[in-house]
Amino acid sequence: MSRAEAGTASVYHRSVVYLLFIILLLPLLGTFVYSIASSWSATVLPSGFTFKWYLQLWSDPRFLTAFGHSLLICVGALVLSVVLILPLLFVVHYHFPKLDALMNILILLPFAVPPVVSSVGLLQLYGSGPMAMVGTPWILIGCYFTVALPFMYRAITNNLQAINLHDLMDAAQLLGASTWQAAFLVVLPNLRKGLLVALLLSFSFLFGEFVFANILVGTRYETLQVFLNNMRNSSGHFTSALVISYFLFVLVLTWVATFLNKDKSQ
Amino acid sequence: MSFVSVEQLQKTYSGTPVFSDINFTISKGEFVTLLGPSGCGKSTLLRCIAGLTPVDQGKILLDGQDIVPLNPQKRGIGMVFQSYALFPNMTVEQNVAFGLRMQKVKADDSHKRVAEVLQLVELNDFAKRYPHQLSGGQCQRVALARSLVTRPRLLLLDEPLSALDARIRKHLREQIRQIQRELGLTTIFVTHDQEEALTMSDRIFLMNKGRIVQSGNAENLYASPVDVFAAGFIGNYNLLDAETASRLLQRPVTSRIAIRPETLGLSLQGEPDTLIHNHSLLGNVIRYRVEVRGVELVVDVLNRSPADLYPDGQRVALSIDTSTLCEVA
Ligand SMILES: Nc1ncnc2c1ncn2[C@@H]1O[C@H](COP(=O)(O)OP(=O)(O)OP(=O)(O)O)[C@@H](O)[C@H]1O
Ligand SMILES: [Mg+2]
Repeated sequence: MSRAEAGTASVYHRSVVYLLFIILLLPLLGTFVYSIASSWSATVLPSGFTFKWYLQLWSDPRFLTAFGHSLLICVGALVLSVVLILPLLFVVHYHFPKLDALMNILILLPFAVPPVVSSVGLLQLYGSGPMAMVGTPWILIGCYFTVALPFMYRAITNNLQAINLHDLMDAAQLLGASTWQAAFLVVLPNLRKGLLVALLLSFSFLFGEFVFANILVGTRYETLQVFLNNMRNSSGHFTSALVISYFLFVLVLTWVATFLNKDKSQ
Repeated sequence: MSFVSVEQLQKTYSGTPVFSDINFTISKGEFVTLLGPSGCGKSTLLRCIAGLTPVDQGKILLDGQDIVPLNPQKRGIGMVFQSYALFPNMTVEQNVAFGLRMQKVKADDSHKRVAEVLQLVELNDFAKRYPHQLSGGQCQRVALARSLVTRPRLLLLDEPLSALDARIRKHLREQIRQIQRELGLTTIFVTHDQEEALTMSDRIFLMNKGRIVQSGNAENLYASPVDVFAAGFIGNYNLLDAETASRLLQRPVTSRIAIRPETLGLSLQGEPDTLIHNHSLLGNVIRYRVEVRGVELVVDVLNRSPADLYPDGQRVALSIDTSTLCEVA
């Protein structure tokens, strides 16, 4: 390839990337500008800039409570999934590799049933009787666990397949490690990457989840998205500030996690 | 008094026996090679000795003690895997120190021992690196160091060199042998490469289909194979059945005969009853494919000078050294 051709190719590649960026960022940018505009209705440009919407948002106790609720439910669901899925994955891959096929089908179920449908089922099952949980955060934690399951399972499975699980376990055991020691000192540290990817992905997904939260719990334990929905009649500037705050939070979280996880070895 | 003694060892995988009656003994400090084709059960045997795979029946005595009931952590056996199995999250130093950490050896003592064994495999400059920053040969040396540092009673090596290129392989096998001698370490080495087995071992156990077919030192195994399999696996024997052998030797022969290609000679003196079909240059040896009295043979001749080369299609005389003929079952 000649240099000129390489030049045009790279211009082309760049413009595609930039175009994609613009398409993705434009709505966010618009929302951001709207959230700092004092008013922006009859004019082409906003009439003035202000942070009052953010101040109003971040001093609204209802918002802070909803934010806390969302955080609590997501973290709860993720802790539950880590505690359950890690040992499960280990056992499946180390002792019963045949079960992997079954698991691959099982983890598709949360996707196969639309949330609206499954939440109706959940409402019936947990609405009354011995396990009445509808309206409490517990049902959301349980429900989000099933939603997070596919992400967690796939990401960690890929990671597990990339390391040579059996040889590593064998080597560690011959060097005197018990099965537990081998799992914690040798296998777990090598799953860090997959685990982090899975956690971030699930977290951003769950943090923005609306259908389950609205139907199963609603205002009885208001989460961020439900709050956003209930605020749809208030000022658009206010909800824009909410969306941007939410976006920035996930962004910072992702960045911090990636930073913390930066491989010492690389 | 044997140091390792395996008695009537049996192993079955879901109904199909891998091996059913393995018996052998190894004395202290001996370097023994398990040689055999792929799938004959070498790795399984090694894993049984290490305790990574349970055995169905039989005894494994190590220094007089039956280790079959012990779990792998308690056996005091070191093993090097074909895949290296280094811990990717640890540096070379941490990898090597892992066994000592599990034994709760004190930090400064552990440090000293790690440095010593890294010195032994010539890797002290790489102590702070991670496995993915090392070449295959270096990885395998780390794996070796890691299994040596705990001073195992018995060292098992499962095809440790087969993933490496030829030059590194030669170098590393000399290094392994030298370290083994220096430490007086009883070692079982698994390979399917006959050259590796012949050059390294004090003794070779030739395995086929879950049986030890023949055992002995390299000379013994090479010069007198016990059966067709042994003759076919080691060297490049010409294997002739009784009828063909009778035709070749022009005397009645009642059993199968194995003839090593380097014991045959070609010359221009004598009756030119041998036709050269083709030849290939193996370096220091020229390998001819010839036909005599309707029998096809392989003949190896030392490559002294290009002038001695017989062209394809030429007729020459064949000399057979009958004292090296070998009857095989
Ligand atoms: N986990 C297992 N389950 C069932 N069969 C097995 C298992 N591991 C090994 N085998 C069978 O046992 C036999 C011996 O296998 P083994 O791995 O010991 O061979 P090997 O001599 O080490 O071969 P290679 O030189 O290819 O490594 C093979 O026929 C193999 O199919
Ligand atoms: Mg093997």
